[in-house]
Amino acid sequence: MSKIVIPDAVLKVSGLGKIYGPITDGAIERTGSHVGTARDYQTGSIVAAWDVNFEVAAGEALGIVGESGSGKSTVLRCIAGDIDSSAGDVRLATFENGESNLLSLDAATRRKMRIDQVSVVYQDPAEGLALGVTAGGNIADPLTAAGWRNFEGIRARARDLLQRTEVPLDRMDDIVRSFSGGMRQRVQIARALANNPRLVLLDEPTTGLDASVAAGVLDLIRGLLEEFELAAIVVSHDFSVIEMLTERCIVMHHGRVVENALTDQLLEDPHHPYSQKLVSAARA
Amino acid sequence: MSTAIATKPILDVRNLTKSFVLHNIDGRTVTGLHNVSFTVEPGQHLALAGTSGAGKSTLLRAIYRTYAPSSGEVWFRLSDDSVVNLAQISDPEIVALRGRQIGYVSQFLRAQPRRSVLDLVIRAGVSRGMNVADARELGILSLRRLNIGEQLWDVHTSVLSGGEKQRVNIAAGLISPPRLLLLDEPVSALDPENRESAIQLISELTHQGVAVLAVFHDLDAIARLATQIVVMQKGRIINNGPVDQILPLLHPGDVQP
Repeated sequence: MSKIVIPDAVLKVSGLGKIYGPITDGAIERTGSHVGTARDYQTGSIVAAWDVNFEVAAGEALGIVGESGSGKSTVLRCIAGDIDSSAGDVRLATFENGESNLLSLDAATRRKMRIDQVSVVYQDPAEGLALGVTAGGNIADPLTAAGWRNFEGIRARARDLLQRTEVPLDRMDDIVRSFSGGMRQRVQIARALANNPRLVLLDEPTTGLDASVAAGVLDLIRGLLEEFELAAIVVSHDFSVIEMLTERCIVMHHGRVVENALTDQLLEDPHHPYSQKLVSAARA
Repeated sequence: MSTAIATKPILDVRNLTKSFVLHNIDGRTVTGLHNVSFTVEPGQHLALAGTSGAGKSTLLRAIYRTYAPSSGEVWFRLSDDSVVNLAQISDPEIVALRGRQIGYVSQFLRAQPRRSVLDLVIRAGVSRGMNVADARELGILSLRRLNIGEQLWDVHTSVLSGGEKQRVNIAAGLISPPRLLLLDEPVSALDPENRESAIQLISELTHQGVAVLAVFHDLDAIARLATQIVVMQKGRIINNGPVDQILPLLHPGDVQP
């Protein structure tokens, strides 16, 4: 038998699904990649994601690729708890020994768990940051939510995080709205790391940034994932982002996972017809 | 090194076949490898020869799982002497073996903006379980041997020339020798002097018991490095034997990229 040591999964997602609108018999069969739509013509319901299964280990980043509307951000937001899921089981090994399904926690427990263990970096910094608040204040927010009370301790932690994410310290007390796109994204990453999360969810973290700025942010993310042994999910439609950050990925199409592969294998030897189309479009 | 272990192959490829189904080009199937079988033992350097399109790179990629094998077996002997079928094990298991027990050095350096030369080599060592100090020491040693001078160590890899990138790639790939090393034209962009240092470094690996499977585009490199030669044509092996038997049969055109 195989003696290959692989790291234990931190995140286990099984049967995850999200349906907008009434859930009726046959809705799953009437939607999906093979049908070519996520919309159930009988009811108008949207099966945004269904039967999504994967695991992510510490120190590993899993990529989710697919075109707009394929369900990749839906999956991320269901895991984060930003939206309610319709079905599924999501467990974190670092939360109650993986014995609790995060999707069935009560709201207060769920919020506490998220503050302690899960961070999201959104494509739009306005979603993850309060733009009218200073960089320091944005980082203080999750810290106070986690129970930090000492002002100097919070300032010191914020300084440390801004330094790590290469935000000039003399901008710490400026409001984030005055920052460039790349710098806003760095503040968002600093904030995401504030409580030493075990899982980081990155939703198109460099989309909308200039190529050179994006390269710097990507390199920062990559270094931080390695340094803190974080489990991460990276959602992106940009294969160069996926290639740089992940070793494995899944492909989504009309709400379903159509391929599950090593990242280099997906790029060089995609199997599913949709994956082949996606890769050849990206390479053209 | 015990002779008992030396006789057990590190790599045992049996009837490996790789077909590509092109769904968006009328669903046609293109077969890159047909029933390929061979073994590589510790300390053996097996050179793949054959004209362009013979399937040499396809074979390296199918072993590394950049291509998913369609059928056949790829038995790999782990450091604890057990064997696994690389064609069948899970993706996370492949990730765990890559860079640690199985190395792959290609002509191209994977794009990593804003990473310095020395940092890249050190990280390669750390990913193989070395501590940073050791990785640094060995990394510096390999970079020096490949004539990458100190003035380039803190430079980002994106600004290097093709030949410099290739040498950094070799240094990173060899910092802690894997059990199996796959080389895809690793010295193709090098000038004669640097090519010489790279070839010297690669030749030492076989003396350390590493199993090497390589594609080179010149007979000179093959003559100097290989212990075995496998000749491929149209995705099939048409000849396989010791270097002194096969080399006289080859022409420069047989190893063109």
